[in-house]
Amino acid sequence: MKDSDDFDPQLLELRRGTIVLACLHLLRHAGYGYGLLEDLARHGFAADANTLYPLLRRLEKQGYLTSEWNTEESRPRKFYLTSAAGLRLADTLTTEWAALTEAIASLTHGRTE
Amino acid sequence: MTATLTDRYISATVRTLPQDAQADVRAELSAAIADDIEARLEQGEVRQDAERAVLTALGDPDVLAASYADRPLQLIGPRYYLTWWRLLKLLWTIAPVTAVVGVLIAQLIADAPIAETIGVLLSVAIGTIVHVGFWTTLVFIILERTGADTGERWTLDALPEPQETGAGRGDLIASLAFLGLAAGALLWDRSIGFVLVAENGVDIGVGLGSQTTAMPVLNSELWPWWPGGMLILIAFEAALAIAVYARHGWTTGFAWLNTVLAVVFSTVILYLLITSQLFNPEFVDYTLGRGNVPPEVGRILAILLGAGVVGVSLWNAIDGWLKSRRSVAH
Repeated sequence: MKDSDDFDPQLLELRRGTIVLACLHLLRHAGYGYGLLEDLARHGFAADANTLYPLLRRLEKQGYLTSEWNTEESRPRKFYLTSAAGLRLADTLTTEWAALTEAIASLTHGRTE
Repeated sequence: MTATLTDRYISATVRTLPQDAQADVRAELSAAIADDIEARLEQGEVRQDAERAVLTALGDPDVLAASYADRPLQLIGPRYYLTWWRLLKLLWTIAPVTAVVGVLIAQLIADAPIAETIGVLLSVAIGTIVHVGFWTTLVFIILERTGADTGERWTLDALPEPQETGAGRGDLIASLAFLGLAAGALLWDRSIGFVLVAENGVDIGVGLGSQTTAMPVLNSELWPWWPGGMLILIAFEAALAIAVYARHGWTTGFAWLNTVLAVVFSTVILYLLITSQLFNPEFVDYTLGRGNVPPEVGRILAILLGAGVVGVSLWNAIDGWLKSRRSVAH
């Protein structure tokens, strides 16, 4: 119990930034706020609504997402879609993530050998 | 019809957002909240509980609004904190002292009552500290919100210089030379006199000594005890300088001795000054006693001299403590 309390800040630190990457990937197909929150949870990303919604607007402002209001359904929703710049950013971040995974693996291998 | 909790929550959030973003955030947020509540209703929750749970999870609307608008939730953030703190420390060491000393001298010259002087000094000191703190901080709060650049970049040149411990050979020689000069001046003034007085103009064709008479600056009635005491103080100062050199640094004991010497020195000078015993009456007559010198001048000069003596002694005492602290740190 004690451990998990102490580790929480470190885990948060490590996870910071992964939500952006996950959103850019998931929004290759247009999605809206609450639906994206559920998708993230399903893929194992624990995001809070109050950080995700402002984050989407920020990414849109930076040009990595585009948005469009869909008023066809009973409830009007704002749909986001990853832009071309967003796709390039997602590629770069994914490559970096893979490199980090390899680096971490080399650390743990080095210890067991 | 009364507003629902959701309406009130959304209004509280968009209230502080920029005008052009308000409608958009309002529509998006209400859709998201409605989606969330609906999902909970499908799980079998009661509408009222579901709404409360969703809004509670979203948290303080002001925090949410700050997140939407990218507003800082701190007065002064890490980007400006050190610049702010360094500047404030610098201003706090300069401004209050300068203000207090200036006002003190003005009050003494105006011969204000002592109680009034103390009150004025206190309010000036507190006022300066508060004003410097407030206005400096206000400027940095504005900087934090406008994102302006302070132009401060750290480079290697900003590293603190290795500080003098005041225990080197140069320090010893300087101290002893100065003390020797002071002792010599005391004796010279006693036996010959510092001020040369010419009776009827100076003829540049003749030597200065033959047409002038020398006049001591200090009151000769003080001898032997007062100047003798001064010579003893000078001897103590010299012994202290040698001890500091021998011990390769200042100690707390040295700093105490130095403080006591400074206090004794300034007390003696102030006492003699206030009781009008310090200067040779002849010399005072000759300089300030002339008809065209207003009587106020003597008093003002005495105040400035007294302030100077106290200032130098105070700095001397503080300097000893600073050096002893540095020596301990070494």
